[in-house]
Amino acid sequence: MTPHLLQALRDPAGVPSPPLVFLILGVATFALHIAAVQVMFGASALALRGAYSQSGHWRRLGATMLFTAKVAVSVAIVLGVAPLLFIQVIYDPFWYTSNVLSAWWVVGFIGLLIGGYIALYVFYWTAHRREAPGGRNALWMALSLGLLLAVGFIVHSLTYQMLFPERWMTWYAPGGTVQSGGHALHGWHLWRFSFFLALSIPVTGAWLHAHRRYLRASVRPDEAYLAWLAPLADRLLLAGGVVSVALGALWMGTLPPTMSGFARSPWPLAALLALAAAIALPRLLQGRLDRGYWGYAVFAAAAGALVVVAAAREALRYATLDGAHGYAALDYRVSVDWYSTILFFATFGVLGTATLGYLLTVAWQASQGEGVYTPSPAVNRLGSAAVGLLALWILAYFAVGFWVWAR
Amino acid sequence: MDMIGLYPTWFEPGLGSGWIVGLMATIHVLFSHTSVGAAIFFAALAHYAHRRHRPELLDFIRRYGLFLLVFSYVLGSATGVGIWYTTTVASPRGISALIHTFVWMWATEWVFFVIEVIGVYMLVYLANRLDAQTHLKVSLIFGLASYTTMLVIVGILSFMLWPGKADWYQRGGVLDAFFGANTFAHLGMRTAFMFAMTAVVGGIVAARLEDAALKREVARALAWLGLGSTLAGAALFRWYLATLPETARLLLENRLPGWFTPSVLAVLAGILAYFALTLFRPRALVAGGAAVMTGAVLVFGLWPEEVARESIRKPWVAGGYVYSNQVLGRDVPGIGVRSEIPILEARGFLKAHPFVPERLRVVDDANRMEAGRVLALVACSNCHSLGRTGMRPLPDYIPAGSKAPEIAAYLQAALATGTTLYMPQIPLRDDEALALAGFLAALPGGREAAR
Repeated sequence: MTPHLLQALRDPAGVPSPPLVFLILGVATFALHIAAVQVMFGASALALRGAYSQSGHWRRLGATMLFTAKVAVSVAIVLGVAPLLFIQVIYDPFWYTSNVLSAWWVVGFIGLLIGGYIALYVFYWTAHRREAPGGRNALWMALSLGLLLAVGFIVHSLTYQMLFPERWMTWYAPGGTVQSGGHALHGWHLWRFSFFLALSIPVTGAWLHAHRRYLRASVRPDEAYLAWLAPLADRLLLAGGVVSVALGALWMGTLPPTMSGFARSPWPLAALLALAAAIALPRLLQGRLDRGYWGYAVFAAAAGALVVVAAAREALRYATLDGAHGYAALDYRVSVDWYSTILFFATFGVLGTATLGYLLTVAWQASQGEGVYTPSPAVNRLGSAAVGLLALWILAYFAVGFWVWAR
Repeated sequence: MDMIGLYPTWFEPGLGSGWIVGLMATIHVLFSHTSVGAAIFFAALAHYAHRRHRPELLDFIRRYGLFLLVFSYVLGSATGVGIWYTTTVASPRGISALIHTFVWMWATEWVFFVIEVIGVYMLVYLANRLDAQTHLKVSLIFGLASYTTMLVIVGILSFMLWPGKADWYQRGGVLDAFFGANTFAHLGMRTAFMFAMTAVVGGIVAARLEDAALKREVARALAWLGLGSTLAGAALFRWYLATLPETARLLLENRLPGWFTPSVLAVLAGILAYFALTLFRPRALVAGGAAVMTGAVLVFGLWPEEVARESIRKPWVAGGYVYSNQVLGRDVPGIGVRSEIPILEARGFLKAHPFVPERLRVVDDANRMEAGRVLALVACSNCHSLGRTGMRPLPDYIPAGSKAPEIAAYLQAALATGTTLYMPQIPLRDDEALALAGFLAALPGGREAAR
């Protein structure tokens, strides 16, 4: 595919805001999505481990992580919508071609996702039966984990195939004969996939530090359980961090020729430093982990590291497509649409912040205490503001809509 | 530019890519509409329950919410993403047109999705922990945020049929693309039917209530909701029909199968009878019956509706400028889009398509059949199966014994000129018309041939 052909595949309507905005939002929302995915994988693995353990602490952690995994799947799906949206805006030639070439896998992964999600729920619903002596069957959980891993691999492959426009025709029309069935996955990189999968371990370690901090704030914290949890979180963070960095190095060392220069760029180093900082943080904080909000800082640092990793991943894509294929995502034709641009940023920045701030505050505070929860007047006011903003948004929708209709 | 932006084609001979999208969309509509309707119903019911001190109604909300977690937020969210993915592979330029026009509207909807997901978990898992005022606020936020998702998506779905305002073609901009008479009629109709679905699906949960008096009360409330919203939906459907563009009305009258209207009327009558039954005999509400009714709504109500919505858009797939075969078929100066028909007329598909193998760019005796197959894939297969199975099989449209030159003459007369109402304009150069006709003539016999 020549740069000329790649340009031809772009949507002629252009993009409604500068492409850089979509690039940045794509990175930020991918980092959020992958954090949820990694918590989902880590929590699922811990739930599986807990199901086969006789230890009370392990079984307790397994039950909590099962609930965490269940919510994390929802969160991963909903957060995944945003990067899926933004990638289509500036990388449409690559995303659409890669998907069409493996169409059955694209359709199939939705079925696998539903299957994995339902298997998780089946395990969740039947968990109480396994509390009985001898009841340790966690096949549903293993099935769920397997299906969700398959989903992850397919999405990895679709994203990877984007980077090889020079092979698209070979995949689509091998020997000059068009094969339009979309039956094959054509490209993947096992070290790259393993790196992102392995990151689940340190991210889950960081999540356990936050979980520990959350439990500490409860009315009657279980000190023995908290003491058991701390070294486990540390081990996951450290060992998982080392494994991830090793796999990341293998990925960089096995980059195909069109990308190999990237390994010597500052991006891998930046990602390494960010991961190292997140791994080292509990050691730097030590006793402070149990004071104030420091317990949450470890997960915040891990999330920050994921943002850097996501930025590096984006830089690799940008550099490959620009350098090897002459496609600069940032030179997409801009045709500004002020109404929808302002609507999104106002909704996200004002309404979203107020409403999510209220919901998360209430959820966090209510689940820590005992008895019926009554929020403070300030939280109450935030809730009223959220309701008011939502009502105002709907009112504005109809006001603007009727005005346009009548115009 | 001498190349046009056509992508590779995915051809699925069994069902057809369009029907795979339709299946995914139909299932998703059931889940998502039920969820939005239920969210608003929850807010109203929570308000009533707190005012009248009826904790058992709050428990019903919690149980229905738990059911929705799987029904709507597992299956619904996965199929929602599924629509995007299936549309991507079935109609990449159609989804691209929507994405590039409405990216910020979709991103706005995403903010509400996030609020919605957190809201439903809170209503299920923290309902018993929140004081009345907080519970009400969370219910209200959940209900309002859910409805905003419908407000956003309806504008985009309406645009797929036709831009809100015809001026959009000249002026561009999201406002004229999004808002118009059809948008509001569409919104009204969907809002009404989403409450009907909420009432049907809610029956599955209400039927399992142990307290007989509560079950009676909830069954009747759902029946009233269902009756009112079904009747309102039927009235709003007529308004919706009145806002359709002329071409869509013609297609509705001439191209839909004969069973369509009786099927819609039968479904409406069936739903009304079901709600009347559960209103007057709440004991008749059983989980199995409600589940069967849910299935009936899916198969006999939503599937024909989605098929009809797809059919009346023909020959377009988005905004009245992207043909179903992915070619941009008209100028849209407002967004800088130019029709690709002149390029195809000048160069032909085989030379202007980026994904045609080099050996097929010039038709000769050796490659004519293969070139014809590729042309059929590119120009026809989005809507027509190339074999005996699947969606609208092409062999059904080829009279028995037709010769390639006769078919080529038909193609160049009826399709190349764009005079067939529901078909895209398909400009074919002489060599391409003969190649495509040769391929079509060689297809296994269709209905006509079998007679």
